[in-house]
Amino acid sequence: MAVTGKLLGQWWFWLLLMMLLVVASLTVGTVSVPLTALFNPESEYFNIIWQLRLPRIINALLVGGCLSLSGLLIQNLVKNPLADPYLLGVSGGAASVQLMVILIGLSWSQHGLFVAGFVGSLLATLLLLKLSYEGRIRPDKITLNGVVMAFGFAAFISFMLTTASGQQIKSMMFWLMGDLSYAQPNVLMPVLLLISVVALFRRHRALDLLARGELFAIKSGVNAHRINLLVFIITALLTSMAVAQAGTIGFVGLIIPHLVRMMAGYQHRQLIPMCLLVGACFLLAADTLARTVMSPLQLPVGIFTAMIGVPVFLWLNRRV
Amino acid sequence: MLTIEGLHLHQDNLTVFKDLNAAFKPGEFWAVVGQNGVGKTTLLQTMAGISQPRQGRVQVAGHNLFELDIAARAQQVSFLLQDQEPCLAFSVRDAVGMGRFPWRSKKQQDQAITTAALETCGISHLADRSILKLSGGERRKVEIATCLAQQSDFLLLDEPLNHLDVVYRQQILKVFAEYSQQRCVVMVCHDLEVIKHHCSHVLMLMANDCYLAGTSATILNQTNLDQLFDARSE
Repeated sequence: MAVTGKLLGQWWFWLLLMMLLVVASLTVGTVSVPLTALFNPESEYFNIIWQLRLPRIINALLVGGCLSLSGLLIQNLVKNPLADPYLLGVSGGAASVQLMVILIGLSWSQHGLFVAGFVGSLLATLLLLKLSYEGRIRPDKITLNGVVMAFGFAAFISFMLTTASGQQIKSMMFWLMGDLSYAQPNVLMPVLLLISVVALFRRHRALDLLARGELFAIKSGVNAHRINLLVFIITALLTSMAVAQAGTIGFVGLIIPHLVRMMAGYQHRQLIPMCLLVGACFLLAADTLARTVMSPLQLPVGIFTAMIGVPVFLWLNRRV
Repeated sequence: MLTIEGLHLHQDNLTVFKDLNAAFKPGEFWAVVGQNGVGKTTLLQTMAGISQPRQGRVQVAGHNLFELDIAARAQQVSFLLQDQEPCLAFSVRDAVGMGRFPWRSKKQQDQAITTAALETCGISHLADRSILKLSGGERRKVEIATCLAQQSDFLLLDEPLNHLDVVYRQQILKVFAEYSQQRCVVMVCHDLEVIKHHCSHVLMLMANDCYLAGTSATILNQTNLDQLFDARSE
């Protein structure tokens, strides 16, 4: 048991598991694909692997990493391990602005949606902070305000989907449910994710101190306002990229940081890379299940993360 | 030396104290006394660089405290908060080790200082426990150990004896007294007996922006205490 616990806290274990999951995800699905087809252009499965499954796998890994990392950051910010960009309305803000941009006809491109989502999640985060700031951020207020804002954005998204024309709705439903079926890999996403990880990792000790309390961090020599600003921007960026690719997938940002803390402790030196890897593994496993359990019917991955996330949330809420 | 000059203390938009002047030197153990709401915590927060005064100056080692880099400021001044903030479940050792943040020193050196701070505060046996699983008194010891690990020249303590049992109070007061031999300790405290026995200097904040600063022997007399509490002290 102790050995298992130690193993789960190692980043290389999750990297290995991720590779195994990638291989498994490549081969299973509506059509079983032999791995030998991967480098054989003559194979009838070659296009399935390279044009359908691999892009979807890459997306699942990146979106999972982004959501998990943004969950870690927002939990640090509000000093509450039960916070998550989905529950606090940051994802909802991104999705709302992205949907508006599409409905108005401004942009359909991925980069356009990234920018729109970034603006939306940034506005949602700023509104959340404005409502929860009394000289300093009030962790109790921010959680309640965030939950209410998430409800508001969900209602707004539902309103837009209800009033949109039939053709538009079909392609937009995934924003509400969270689905990786429509996404195409975007080269900007891994680059921005890597930059975010490096920027955060360089400040891992300051993030530790901020997790101990904002006043504590300031009196200990941390420029809390600067670090908080960086955290807001990166949270908004990661959330907007995830939402642009896959809609509002809930609970990844909630469950994964919490589980990682149980496995690897509370220091951000371990938490940052581990959240990235475990989040990627989790969403890939969930998406592989989503497209195989009722095959040929493909379920939105958000349904699976919610089915796992709700009982885990309730369990965690009893423990915290 | 840490000096405050013409300091006005504010809580939100309310001025609670005007024109305060004092100088704190290494080798001194100061007590700050005064009635509730007079501005003791605000004074310490200002001296720690957490809240910027609207009027007046705080100087440390010849520099304006608020013009110093935030890490350099923390090297000069450490501050024990009156209340603990909500936080995540760090281990006691990691929590105390955070006091080393402003120094950017070598890991081995940080570990040695952290271990020494844990021992000084008598909490080595709790090193691997989560700080959220501790009692109020144990948590207070962790916060004090964190301040000691910071090794700053000025140690500001806002009611450090809260939650501590009688025996431990005496032990930790000795630690503060030892710390003040080389550096300076400034402690907000309501216990006059403790101040009489342990503190070398007193800053007494009274109503109507009146204050007294000096050695304990000169400040702690019945006339001043009567004026402070507006009633005869036992």
